[in-house]
Amino acid sequence: MSLSRRSLLKSAAAAGALAASGDVVAPAIAQNKPVRIGILAPRSGIAAAPGENGIRATQWAADRFNATGGIAGRKIELVIEEESSPKDTIERFSKLVQQEKVDCVQGIISTGAGLALGPVVEEARALTIYWDGTTQDGVDEKIPNPRYLFRSTDNECEAVMSSLLAIKYWKGKFATVAGINPDYSYGRNNMAAFVAILNRFNIEHKVVTEQWPKVGTMDLTSHVAALKSAKPDLIFSSLLFADLPVFMKQAHAAELTKDTKLVLPAAGWQHTLMKKEFTPEGILFGHNTFYFDNPNASPLAKEFVAWYERTYKDYPEWEADRAYFAIASYKAAVEKASAAKSGWPSQNDVIDAMAGLSVESLGGRGSWRKDHIAEQTFVQGLTTHNNKYDFVTLGTFETMYAADLQKPPGANFWDWIKTAQFKV
Amino acid sequence: MVAFANILVGGVFHAAVLFLVAAGLQLVFGVQKIVNLACGSFYALGAYFGVSFVGYASTAGLSPWLIMPALVIAGLLLGFVGPPIERLLRTVYSRDESFQLLLTFALVLMFQDVLRFVWGPNPRSLDSAYLVYGVINAREFSVPVYNLLVIAAAIATAAGFGAFLQRTNYGRILRATAENRAMAEALGVDVRRLYAVVFTIGTVLGTTAGALVVPTAAASLDMAIDFVIEAFAVVVIGGLGSMRGALAGALIVGLIRAFAIVVYPEAEVLAIYVIVIAVLLLRPAGLFGRQAS
Repeated sequence: MSLSRRSLLKSAAAAGALAASGDVVAPAIAQNKPVRIGILAPRSGIAAAPGENGIRATQWAADRFNATGGIAGRKIELVIEEESSPKDTIERFSKLVQQEKVDCVQGIISTGAGLALGPVVEEARALTIYWDGTTQDGVDEKIPNPRYLFRSTDNECEAVMSSLLAIKYWKGKFATVAGINPDYSYGRNNMAAFVAILNRFNIEHKVVTEQWPKVGTMDLTSHVAALKSAKPDLIFSSLLFADLPVFMKQAHAAELTKDTKLVLPAAGWQHTLMKKEFTPEGILFGHNTFYFDNPNASPLAKEFVAWYERTYKDYPEWEADRAYFAIASYKAAVEKASAAKSGWPSQNDVIDAMAGLSVESLGGRGSWRKDHIAEQTFVQGLTTHNNKYDFVTLGTFETMYAADLQKPPGANFWDWIKTAQFKV
Repeated sequence: MVAFANILVGGVFHAAVLFLVAAGLQLVFGVQKIVNLACGSFYALGAYFGVSFVGYASTAGLSPWLIMPALVIAGLLLGFVGPPIERLLRTVYSRDESFQLLLTFALVLMFQDVLRFVWGPNPRSLDSAYLVYGVINAREFSVPVYNLLVIAAAIATAAGFGAFLQRTNYGRILRATAENRAMAEALGVDVRRLYAVVFTIGTVLGTTAGALVVPTAAASLDMAIDFVIEAFAVVVIGGLGSMRGALAGALIVGLIRAFAIVVYPEAEVLAIYVIVIAVLLLRPAGLFGRQAS
């Protein structure tokens, strides 16, 4: 059969239109090719440690899945790119989608990069699953009703949970509160949520000082001096990078931690750096969606923690769970859609299968809301020194499901706090 | 009053570390006319190496009381990094300043990757060292002795450096070369060698500052860039190339920052740059810089 230039152009145009519709079914030959998953995660800079945690968990999951047939019979191949500034991250996302032709993009830790990338994901029509990058600000404007984007929690669940637990444990035992939080939307939102929840429960309090160190500030002695001079009964801090253990060390040296209650909703990101010598017992400490030393952990989580400890001489934190949840969700969605279609599913089939899906992750069962928001289990509790490590773990702890910690679809976070029926 | 003392000591401590880094920056610019952005990388390198060095030394039986001298030695040992980098910088001595900035910024990025490759992405710290010398407590006032020792080290460096530049023969040669390189060369000064020595001293000031600060903080990959920005504020305020300027600039930045944090925390960064802008408008060469003729 001779192929004229005109018929070739027609075929190309038809293929282009089909691809743009997202309903194209991959030909049989493509099923032998590996599934390419693009990873966008920081490997340098302030978020390098959680980025590496997520990448390691993804690699572990990919190896594990590949050993049992990959995703619907296709092996997984990871293409890793750096998450950095919003502009560069967008460029690397485009590279993953256009040049590397990945089937799905996963990753993103930074709130700023996540917000900037959202509209680009929708425009590129490329299935993307965020590990983190949580915020409640700017989402409605920048990413309303996403089709291709699946995001982690819709607001800072850890702030809501620790605020509720602070009230549960210490109601009536504090009158003055102070905050030291990172100076960007995450830190601002966390502190505002804490104060809003105190108001919601009519907890009489006075905010005596609010400190906003730049992310990654390594000399916090002046902030500690300012907190000490304000004499708060309770300090709320969502510091979560290397600045958190530095703050604790300097606060301990200034004897700020001796009689002050501490609420650290995001401390789990640096849990192995929170050494016993400067982190007292009885601090309210958040591990987000994964507590590595959970005695009730699933066999999957125990296997992962043992592998992580053996391989890296370290203990994983919540970004590992978020990353595992992303890749496990994608695998489950592809296989669900594939079973329904008896063939390799289109991207639209996978997206439809993801919404409402429930999968087992390292931190427990997690699911995807119809509006593409993740729901996972959060862990927080009071610190103890009674363990085999040189850092603090949790003595008594509680778990809460994200459905009880985040606003319902379409709601305004601050309005929701005023009326929500909290279970604590 | 006690709160004031706490804040003052916090500010002076920050200034002490800033001075050590800015002094290296000033020395290199003053003599070699190179704006060395990589001084922040030397600071980070010193911090990481300090953690490893003290870790090995402690395993070998180092007394906890000797941690601070061990950190100083760690910083000094890293002086070997200076000569090869200075050799690299020779390619841009006579070129436009933008080439110097590009090359030294490239070094910052390369160092960041080297640090990650050698020490990994997780922050490193020396936790037990911080309180080994105890804490001075008087009513509400408390300050770790280690902080005071770092302040003392910075004062000793400033005094020692002043004496070296003013009273030694090598110091005079160094100042003469800074004044007029061609004339110094004509009078027989081995300028190439002198540049290597100056750059190595600048490197050692940065690495020692990093090593000394690590017990109070942590070594992290981004510390190079964060700190170099503040060091440049110090240089702009004090005057590029002036050691007295580095001292005054560091004190101004450290104290302004400490008091802004208490009075109006939102203005912590703003307050520093308001001073920078005021200096640029009113005295463009800086408080101790030489006005252009």
